[in-house]
Amino acid sequence: MALKPATNPEVEAATIELSINGQTVTAKDGVSLYDVISSTGKIVPAMCYHYTFDPFGSCGMCLVMVDGKKAPVRSCTAKATAGMVVRTEGDDLFQARKKAVEKHLSVHPLDCPVCDADGHCELQDTAFLHGVTNLANAKQKLIPEDTRSLVLDFNMNRCIACGECINVCKDVLMIDALQFLKKGGYTQVVAKGDVPLSCEFCGDCLAVCPVGAITNKYSKYLYKPWQLKKTTTTCNYCGDGCQMYLETKDREVVRVTSPLSWKNKWGDRAETAKGHGGICVRGRFGFQYIDSRARLKQPLMRRDGQLVETPWLEAVHAVVDRLAEIKAKHGAQAIAGLITARCSNEELYLFQKLMRAAIGTNRFDSSSRYGHLNFVHAVQHALGIGRMMNNWEDITKAKAILLVGTNITETNPLTAVRVKEAIRVYKSQVIVVDSAQTNIAALASHPMMVTPGTEGLFVQALVKSVIEQDLVDPEVSGKHPEAFAALKEAVEKLSLDAIAAQTGVPVDQINEAAAIFAEAPRAIILCGEGIVRRPGGYQHVLNLVDLAWITGKLGRPGCGVNTVTEEPNEQGAVDMGAVPEFLPGQAPFDDGAAREKFSKAWGAELPAAGSGAQLMDILKQCRNGDIKALYVVGENPLATLPASLEVKAALERLELLICQDPFLTETGRLAHFVLPACTYAEKEGTFTNLEGKVLRIRQSMDPVGESLPDWHIMAAIASGLGYQVDYESAQEIQNEIMKLLPGYYNLGQPKKIAAKPDAYLSNGYVVEVKNRYASRVTRLSSLAENHFALIMGQLLYHSGKLSTQASGLMKISPNTCRLRMNAQDMERMGLTEDARVRVTSANGSLELGVQADLTVRPGACFFPEHFNEPAVKDLMPVEVDSITGVPYFKFARVAIEKA
Amino acid sequence: MSVGVLTKKLLQAALFYEIWDAMKVTFKHMFHRPITFQYPREERTIPDTHRGALGLLRYDDGAERCVGCDLCEAACPSHCIKVVSAEDKSLPLQRYASEFYIDITKCVFCGYCVEACPVNALAMTKMYEYSTHDKRTLLFDKKRLYEIGERHLADAKKYLIAHNQEKDNQESRDYRYFFPQSVLKATQPVPPKHLT
Repeated sequence: MALKPATNPEVEAATIELSINGQTVTAKDGVSLYDVISSTGKIVPAMCYHYTFDPFGSCGMCLVMVDGKKAPVRSCTAKATAGMVVRTEGDDLFQARKKAVEKHLSVHPLDCPVCDADGHCELQDTAFLHGVTNLANAKQKLIPEDTRSLVLDFNMNRCIACGECINVCKDVLMIDALQFLKKGGYTQVVAKGDVPLSCEFCGDCLAVCPVGAITNKYSKYLYKPWQLKKTTTTCNYCGDGCQMYLETKDREVVRVTSPLSWKNKWGDRAETAKGHGGICVRGRFGFQYIDSRARLKQPLMRRDGQLVETPWLEAVHAVVDRLAEIKAKHGAQAIAGLITARCSNEELYLFQKLMRAAIGTNRFDSSSRYGHLNFVHAVQHALGIGRMMNNWEDITKAKAILLVGTNITETNPLTAVRVKEAIRVYKSQVIVVDSAQTNIAALASHPMMVTPGTEGLFVQALVKSVIEQDLVDPEVSGKHPEAFAALKEAVEKLSLDAIAAQTGVPVDQINEAAAIFAEAPRAIILCGEGIVRRPGGYQHVLNLVDLAWITGKLGRPGCGVNTVTEEPNEQGAVDMGAVPEFLPGQAPFDDGAAREKFSKAWGAELPAAGSGAQLMDILKQCRNGDIKALYVVGENPLATLPASLEVKAALERLELLICQDPFLTETGRLAHFVLPACTYAEKEGTFTNLEGKVLRIRQSMDPVGESLPDWHIMAAIASGLGYQVDYESAQEIQNEIMKLLPGYYNLGQPKKIAAKPDAYLSNGYVVEVKNRYASRVTRLSSLAENHFALIMGQLLYHSGKLSTQASGLMKISPNTCRLRMNAQDMERMGLTEDARVRVTSANGSLELGVQADLTVRPGACFFPEHFNEPAVKDLMPVEVDSITGVPYFKFARVAIEKA
Repeated sequence: MSVGVLTKKLLQAALFYEIWDAMKVTFKHMFHRPITFQYPREERTIPDTHRGALGLLRYDDGAERCVGCDLCEAACPSHCIKVVSAEDKSLPLQRYASEFYIDITKCVFCGYCVEACPVNALAMTKMYEYSTHDKRTLLFDKKRLYEIGERHLADAKKYLIAHNQEKDNQESRDYRYFFPQSVLKATQPVPPKHLT
């Protein structure tokens, strides 16, 4: 239903009855007449209508006759009222609609042959439907095409001024980058202020444009819609797991489209709480890496110090021989592995099976170690669950949302759209705690910019504030009085004034945020990299759990503690047991019953309990020579981790380094074997998104060159090592997982999980909570003038290192090689845009340019983690979490001086 | 058998009647104009509607008519046409066919592609002699198709007129597609006459 749903989802609108074409129809009060008609299955043409936003009523197509009115009325802007008698068909209506189409066509250029929308154009379809063959008084607008934007071209000759692009941008995405402007005698769509369009480039305007007025620069003129093969698949950039259509022609990817389109304009507005079907800039414009020229096409093998192309058979034989040799000589424990969470569930499962059953080592890790495991370990420990507690619908319908340390519009743009819908439609209060002026903070009701690195401290202050203001849920303190007393005692040491001074947020704002969160009936916590990737991440997630617990938000519907993930399958990597501490299904590796179950299922002895090694231990053991062979699947530790970890020395010391990747990475250049792997577009499988939905990825094209799916290579290696696995397809691995983990494949409908905090609260909590509120931030007080907080983080236009291979995204956001600073700081230090600065940290020093960035707060500077040129990452100190083994290396204190 | 019939048979046999009877046709044709064409020394006059090899046409000023719309490819019942369209980098926003292939071995000469073409860039010619020793040369590429179009321009135009695709030179100019102007580079400073 296109009209906004009731603000409170619990309140049902009254039911009314009206007559449509002689049939009595029941509908909700206050809904647009057009929606009532379309809910009966009757489709009335409408070009400016889309269910995701409020009716606009500009196209004049949705005409119906209402009794009592002389002329036809536009059904989209008319509200359905009780007792209405409506007629939707008839020759008079047909003629009236035909007139409306003719009116649009008379100023439309009729350049269908060269238009990208040809064959996928609502105006074309409607003209055909109404048999428009002759146009009297046709004239042309002859407006120059606007090609100033980086990704979209605006051909305003074709525009029918339906306003869908403007409405979707303003109403659904809340970016508001487009406007109507009367220019040259015509109403045109231009970027706000008639400047080159520079927005989040989600491309939803392109998706809803019913004609070819907005076109995609990256695939312009390359196709006609009927030539493309359309494959429904899951995006592999972030953890949102958006469904999208990959459209290919032979062996090239031409474009990516979203389920959101003018083609599916009929729907229930309440359903958008689960997602509006759009995708973001990365999904829509970052597809070029799939058929990039840089893709590896043949296995490479090191011969005389050079990587040379080798046939698959020879390469796999050599890999297997070397692995078997090392295993025989040094034991299975001398072999380790790393895998990226961009692999499918099946591949992650097979990887850990290969390591554990075929090789017999528990020394491997996945990239969920970089942060997500902090969250998983914390909620497992405290609540007995292994993923975030809420889904998108809960986020949308929350009354209060606490976003801590997450620049969500950049890292997980579609989860951010859920928060935006919560703000816009459900009027929820949003508290944003971050050290940058983020886009979501600009929309939030309570933006709280904290000093960099104090997000965790702020959460502790919230806990303290809730207790001080006596906002504690009475049920909670009554049920676990001892635990609550312990918590009360622990926070006693904290002083709100001291925290206010450290975080830079006044005490009354902290109190207000705590009150809003505690008093909301449905309150959601979402934490991101500012919590899980910064020192103390594990403890800070537990602080968040405490906050949810004392305010009674655990176990209540629509409330919970959640996180966002950077890579598409970080959740899947944990669930599939691709981390040393868990077997598939998040069973502890040391758990006797689980060990027996999997050992029986795999027909092999599992490595001894406690023999596992995590990422940091693996690197250490590579350095000291305990590990002789490393199997790296899609990971690139050399380009990810700071140089102080001596990753290069560690990798060079190895007797055997196997790198399996679609591209030749920095790590690959050091490897003895480089095996070409497929991207997600060339294989079958599933991803588990942050909500726990298991989503299919489907093969849309043949593998590039001789590359093979990762599971195929792993199965070959396992078989070569004498551990027979005969998988013919990814489906067979899936069948095995289905047997071992019944119910895991939830067809995108995960079961709601309930937090079970009681066991932890009555057992162990009292001891642990004592040290949880000891203040960690002490270094701040001694800050000199030229001292800054250096943050490395994600950009909207990039994801990991993968997106740097997508030429489209590199065009939108190239590596500027410059440090982003606040304009005030730059002015204070006398820096101009072409100045260079020397950045010095405890770990080194380097010189680079600067640029002003509005989002960076004074006293901080930012460099995107996607780029290593210059190697800012090497300035970062590394701290390893003592409990979860997560390395923290995204935050540093640096001194900046003019070079 | 009666005596009369027997006598007639004997007489005919003696006078070689059947040979004379058979030779009658031969002698008659000695005074006839021959019907057979002495192909390839002689050429046949072909009607304008003849569906021969396809050619691509240019406008009088040398500009390619084809705008790379892929409609011929869509119309082709034997899937023998492949168009690769692209944006002309030197003239921004102009769509053109960067590659154009017709597999003439698969072509069934139905002429649908000519009918589908919105700018009458394709036409059939009277050319039918393209036998070769190498089958690969029968995959006509863009260069070859323009060559055919140039060499048989008059025939191609006659074909279009005979099939009611266009009437005369004036109308062929009216079919011309003018690309929208771009902000960066005005490719069409003066709007064409028929558009004002």
